[in-house]
Amino acid sequence: IFRVLTCYQPVRYRKRRSKAPGWFVPRRGGGASRDLTKENRDFLRDLVKEKYDKTLSSPLKEEPWPRGTWDFGTKRVGLLAIKLGMTAQFNKKGQKVACTLLQVVDNHVVGYTPPEKFMNSVGWKPWWRNMYGSVTVGAMSCDPSGFTKAYNNIFLNAGVPTKRKLTRFLVTPNAAVQPGTRLNVMHFKVGDYIDLQAKTVDHGFQGVVKRWGFKGQRQSHGVGKSERRPGATGVGRVSSGIIKGKKLPGHMGSDWNTSKGSQIVRINTKYNLIYVRGPCSGPTHCFVRIMDTCLPVRRDEIEKSENHPSMPTTFPEDLTEEVPEEYFHESLHQFNEPSITYSADEDSK
Amino acid sequence: YRQVYPEYLPRPDWSSRDKLLEKMARRDMNNRRAVMNIPEFYVGSILAVTIGDEFAPMKVNRFVGICIERGGHMLYHWFILRNVVDGSGVEMKYELYNPLIQKIEVLKLEKRLDDNLTYLRDCPAEYSTFPFNLDAVPLPKGMTVPVNPLKVKLNPPPWLERWERMELKGVENNTRKLTKKQQIRAELSKKPWEKHDLMLQYRGSINEVEKDQIMREIYHENLRKEKKKKVKKFES
Repeated sequence: IFRVLTCYQPVRYRKRRSKAPGWFVPRRGGGASRDLTKENRDFLRDLVKEKYDKTLSSPLKEEPWPRGTWDFGTKRVGLLAIKLGMTAQFNKKGQKVACTLLQVVDNHVVGYTPPEKFMNSVGWKPWWRNMYGSVTVGAMSCDPSGFTKAYNNIFLNAGVPTKRKLTRFLVTPNAAVQPGTRLNVMHFKVGDYIDLQAKTVDHGFQGVVKRWGFKGQRQSHGVGKSERRPGATGVGRVSSGIIKGKKLPGHMGSDWNTSKGSQIVRINTKYNLIYVRGPCSGPTHCFVRIMDTCLPVRRDEIEKSENHPSMPTTFPEDLTEEVPEEYFHESLHQFNEPSITYSADEDSK
Repeated sequence: YRQVYPEYLPRPDWSSRDKLLEKMARRDMNNRRAVMNIPEFYVGSILAVTIGDEFAPMKVNRFVGICIERGGHMLYHWFILRNVVDGSGVEMKYELYNPLIQKIEVLKLEKRLDDNLTYLRDCPAEYSTFPFNLDAVPLPKGMTVPVNPLKVKLNPPPWLERWERMELKGVENNTRKLTKKQQIRAELSKKPWEKHDLMLQYRGSINEVEKDQIMREIYHENLRKEKKKKVKKFES
């Protein structure tokens, strides 16, 4: 059975709604401790820290769920990270590799809805059919006093401290993760290809030249009052008026953008950092969703090879050897290695 | 210390700064410095840089030149060396932390009156020629870096840039004939209020407190390295 959305129409222009969706729970607010003395406030802060320090590495509430196996068309959970900025790394050929630094801060799985239940919820699309369940992942543990009671209650079931940011990942049922699991950088390996989803930099209300790349008109030689204006907007005599979706000035930026097929070149397990080759949308310190690629060639590489990604994620119990602090891609030059030299033996032919 | 390690300071753009990122970058820089010695040099010093070249006959490429410019922050730091080879001026841009660089030797450590010697492109060739077999002249210990008070003469105009508009201390004949219109434009382009603009200076530089912290980190790194060396000597 699937729900028939009779009034559903796919929307292709920029989707902006001022009314909040049905599942929205007001987040900020809550009983702020303003009328307390300084000592009491500090005491509460220490209390919260003590309480949540234990939960961050505590055992799960229920028995652990059975782990699925990798299969053709599996979709795993992703991570919620913060974009720290860009650095330079160097190749073994001496070429500079511009890398984006992403930090995975305190990721916990907050909830899982199986596909049957997910189908009846708001925000489900009919072409997904019965394929996907949804996993809610939260990032950045915070003091619950800064949030509303309704928002805090979301995390009670999972036994997880209140998170500042929540996101949902569509997941095949064999990759279901139990609520309360800690998600680490070790979920990915160096050399993996990932998709980065983030909201682009907000440029505000912008004109047509910057927003759509129109050429504008001359700046001199008699042009009056329209150097950067769109010019003519008519289409023909048949349709009167302007077509819906006409490129005109308006709000630019703050749109979701996916960078597909970015490669991980370096992982730091101590600070939970991922170095990704290439740029990432969004300003510094924005939240970025990281998932396995959807690109078919990269997926083929994984499916044909023997190394499947760890399902549903890497648990600390699985890692038998001591985890090194840094993992480097084989093509990357590690800074504590000596300079690159070329030997004269190969040339003596 | 701030002059010796200028690349350790991050970009002063507050909208794109992150402490963790800078910490990791500094760590990489320290690791590189532990393997290869990056000496102290300034704009105006004569350097010899050896890089690994896959297609060179000796697999290495050595270039000698005067450092005319330094730029970039953290791992992106670069410097340009200028020399005149076979009658034509050659400039080589090197990334300081590139692993291909095998050796940086400072043949003559000195400063000039300017921070930027790009005007050497508009000077006669003698001012930029340095022989490739120049011997290193080490400074005696404890001596402050000398400032070469050389005043260079520019070629007759046209120049590559409007040197008459810039306050260059290391140049003698910094003037050329301007038409009335050009004089008016030159007057309009002057911004004498910028040297009094404290907020501009503050926003375009790193906080004194932060600079102190960073330089202190480097100082402690150097101490650690010296200790290691001493231990090695003792063991051997």
